[in-house]
Amino acid sequence: MQRLIRFIAGALLAAGLIAAQEPQAPATNAPPRPAAGGFNIRNFLAIGAAPDPAAVERGQKLYVTNCGFCHGTNATGGNSGPDLVRSVLVLHDEGSGAQIGPVILNGRLDKGMPKFPLTEPQIKDIAAFLLSRSQAAANRGEYKILDVVTGDAHAGETYFSAHCANCHSATGDLAHVAAKFDPVALQSRFLYPVTRALPGMRGPPPDPRARATVTVTLPSGQSYAGTLEYLDDFTVAMKDSSGEYHSWPIEGIGVKVAVHDPLKDHAELLKKYTDADMHNVLAYLETLK
Amino acid sequence: MKFLLLCLSAGLVYAQALDPAKLLQPPTDTWPTYNGDYSGRRFSPLEQINAGNVRNLGLAWVYRADTGGGSPFGNQIKATPLEVNGVLYFTLPDHAWAVDARNGRELWHFRWQTKGGIHIGNRGVGIYGNWLFFETPDDYLVSLDKNTGRERWAVEIADLKQQYFSTPAPLVIGNHVLIGVGGDSLDVPGYLEARDPETGKVQWRWNSEPQPGEPGSETWPNKDAMAHGGGMTWMPGTYDPNLNLIFWGTGNPNPVHSGQGRKGDNLWTCSLVALNADTGKMAWWFQASPHDTHDWDNVETPVLFDAEFDGQPTKLVAQASRNGYFFVLDRTNGKHLVSAPFIDINWSKGVDSRGEPIPNPAKEPKTDGTLVSPASGGATNWPPPAFDPNSGLFFVNTSQSYSVYYLTDTDDRPEGYGGRDSGVWSQSALKAIDYKTGKIRWSHPFRGEGFGTPGVLTTAGKLLFTGDPSGNFIAFDPATGKILWHSKLAAGVSNGPMTYSLDGRQYLVVGAGDMLYAFTLPGSE
Repeated sequence: MQRLIRFIAGALLAAGLIAAQEPQAPATNAPPRPAAGGFNIRNFLAIGAAPDPAAVERGQKLYVTNCGFCHGTNATGGNSGPDLVRSVLVLHDEGSGAQIGPVILNGRLDKGMPKFPLTEPQIKDIAAFLLSRSQAAANRGEYKILDVVTGDAHAGETYFSAHCANCHSATGDLAHVAAKFDPVALQSRFLYPVTRALPGMRGPPPDPRARATVTVTLPSGQSYAGTLEYLDDFTVAMKDSSGEYHSWPIEGIGVKVAVHDPLKDHAELLKKYTDADMHNVLAYLETLK
Repeated sequence: MKFLLLCLSAGLVYAQALDPAKLLQPPTDTWPTYNGDYSGRRFSPLEQINAGNVRNLGLAWVYRADTGGGSPFGNQIKATPLEVNGVLYFTLPDHAWAVDARNGRELWHFRWQTKGGIHIGNRGVGIYGNWLFFETPDDYLVSLDKNTGRERWAVEIADLKQQYFSTPAPLVIGNHVLIGVGGDSLDVPGYLEARDPETGKVQWRWNSEPQPGEPGSETWPNKDAMAHGGGMTWMPGTYDPNLNLIFWGTGNPNPVHSGQGRKGDNLWTCSLVALNADTGKMAWWFQASPHDTHDWDNVETPVLFDAEFDGQPTKLVAQASRNGYFFVLDRTNGKHLVSAPFIDINWSKGVDSRGEPIPNPAKEPKTDGTLVSPASGGATNWPPPAFDPNSGLFFVNTSQSYSVYYLTDTDDRPEGYGGRDSGVWSQSALKAIDYKTGKIRWSHPFRGEGFGTPGVLTTAGKLLFTGDPSGNFIAFDPATGKILWHSKLAAGVSNGPMTYSLDGRQYLVVGAGDMLYAFTLPGSE
C-alpha cells in the first residue's frame, strides 16, 4: 500500500525529499536525474544559480594558495581564520567579490589578516569558489553518502538464510543484484523496496514483483482477484487479469477484502534488525555482483 | 464604569475589526488565531453538527487558491484560516486571501514579490484589529489591511542570505505580534520576536541559544557551536492569559545530523519553553530531545488545558513530540508529569529525573547508517493535534516510521546538515492518548502506509475531524474511534480543520492541496 499512498501524496512527498519540515524519501548515491514535473533539488532548497565551474576551479587554486593556511583548505576555518562557508559577509557576497574584495585587498590588520594584492578577476574567482562551497553545504539533497559496506558478509549470509531465503535466492531473483544498484540504493531497497516511481525520485525504477494483490468477496459469495489498485477505509479497487478496473465500497455491507502484500515481511523485519544485521546483510548482498 | 466605556469606544472604533475579547474565548462565531483560541486545544464548543446528524453533512462551497503556479512544492494549504466577521483569511507562501466565509467568494488576493527562500509552506495570518500579519519565505513580516488586502508595510525579520525562511502564522497577544523563523541549511541561530502591530518594530527577542557564560551555555562546547546552533521557532505557540506565559516549541539543533561539533544537550533546541508574553523572559524550559541528531523539531503545538491530575485540578501543557514522546507538564513550572512514547521508538534509553528522554548514542547517524524509528519526518509533525475536554483524550495523527540516518560530514566542525536520512517505511494512525498516563486509549491505523499526519479538530458535537493519507476527510467518534462520516477530497487534508457558526449555521472548513472545502448541514437554521 505504501506505493499507492506515495503516489497519491506525490506532491507532498516530492516536497519532503529535501525539506526538514516534512518526511524524507529514500536516498541513493546515483547522480540526480530530472523527473516528471521538472523536479530540481536546487529549486526546492532555493539555492541560486551555480557559479561558473571554470571560475570555481581557478578560485579554488587561488584560495588554497592564499587563504587556506588560515581559513582551512575547505574554507571551514583553520587555526587562525574563521569559517568562511557560513560567514555572514561571504553569504552576502553571493559570489560577486563585492563584499569580500575590500577585505582581501585591505586585510583585517587588527585581527592579524594581512593584505592580499589580488586582481579583481582573481577576487571574483575566489568569490565563485566560496559560493560553490556554501551552496554545497546548503544542498543536503546531494551530500555524498560515505562507505556503507562495513558489515560481515558471512554473518549477513547467515541472517539472510534465516530471514530472507523463504522468498529470495542469491542465485535466483537476487543474482547479480549488487551490479544493478549502488550500495546506498541497495541498502534502502532491501530494507523496503520502492514499488512505484515517485516525483523527484532518483535511482533505479520500482519493482513490479512487489505489487500487492487482493481478493474481494462480495456478500453474494462472488469473488474477484487481481492487483490491488487502491485501499482506504471506504473503498477497495483492483485490476483483474484482463486489466479491467473494479472498485467496491467496503463499509458495513459485508464485502470481504483479503490483501496479500509481498512486502509485509520487509516491514516486519524493520522492527527487528539491529544496525549490525543491516550492515551484515548489505555486505552479503554486495557479494552478489 | 471606566472599563465599560473603554469597551464601548473600542467597539465603535473597530466596527468590523476583530474584538480583542474574542481572542480570550472559545471559538464560536469567530476563529481568530491559528488554533482557534490561545489554548491550542482545537476544541470547538459548537454542536449543531453532531454525532447524531453528521451523516447528513454536505458540501457548502469550495474555493481554489490559484497562485498562477510556479511553486516547486506545489500548493498545499497548510494555513488554518482565521474567520472574523464572516470573512476567512488564509495564505500560501507569498499569497494571502480573503474569502466570504458563507459562500467562498474571493474578496481579495494579495501577492508578495519574493526574493527567494524555501517555499515549503505557510501556516497563515495573525490579526490585530483591522490589520493582518503574515510571514514570507524571504523573511518579511507583511501587514495588510484586512478589508482591502492592501499592504500597510513589510519589515525584514531574518536574513534570507543566511538561508532563513519563514513559515509560521504570527500569534497576536495584546499588542504583541509574535513571529518565529525557520531555516536549517546553513546552521543559523533561532529566535522568537515580539513585534509592534503598528510599526513592525521589535519589542523583545528571545534567542534559542544562550550567550557564552549564561546558564545553558554549559550544554555547548563553544561559542561558535552556539552561534550556529539552530533551534528554529517555525510554528505558532500557545498562551495562558492568567499566567501571562507563552509556550513555544523550538526546532532541532544544527548542524542537523552531525553532532560531533556540538557535544552536549544543546539548550534550548528541541525544547518547549515558557516565556513571559510582555518581556520574552524565560520562566522554564523542558528539552524533548537533548542533543538531537535526527531532525526532530519540537515545534508541535503545546496544548493547554486545566484538568485533574493525581486528584488535583492542574494547569497542564501536553505535547506529542516529533521524536515519538507524549509529554504532559505542569505549565506553571514546567515540572514533568508524563513522558511516554506514542509509537515504537528505538533511539532512547528511557527518561531522566526531569522526564527528558536519554538519547542512545548508538542511534546517532553513522557513516554506514543507523536504522531509527521514527524517520526524520517524525512520529508526528507540525499538523495540529487536538484535546477534547469531554472525553479527556488527546488526539494526534501519528506515523510509525523508519529511516536510515547517515553521517556524511565527519569533520570536527561539520557544516550544513552534515548528514542525510533515507526514509524506508511508514504507517499512519490516528491515536487517542490518555493525558493522565500517556497510554493509547484507541488507535485507528489507516489502511496501508502513508506519509500523511493531518491536523485534528474536536467539537462539543462529540465529533473529531481529520484526514487520512488517502485524501478522505473523516469524522470519528472521539470516545471510541468509530468512523461516522467521510468525504473524499481531491487531495489529502493539508491543514488543521476549523469550524465556525454564522447566522445560526455551523460550517466546517478544511484545506486539501490548493482547495478549501466548506461543509455544513443541509437546511440547518
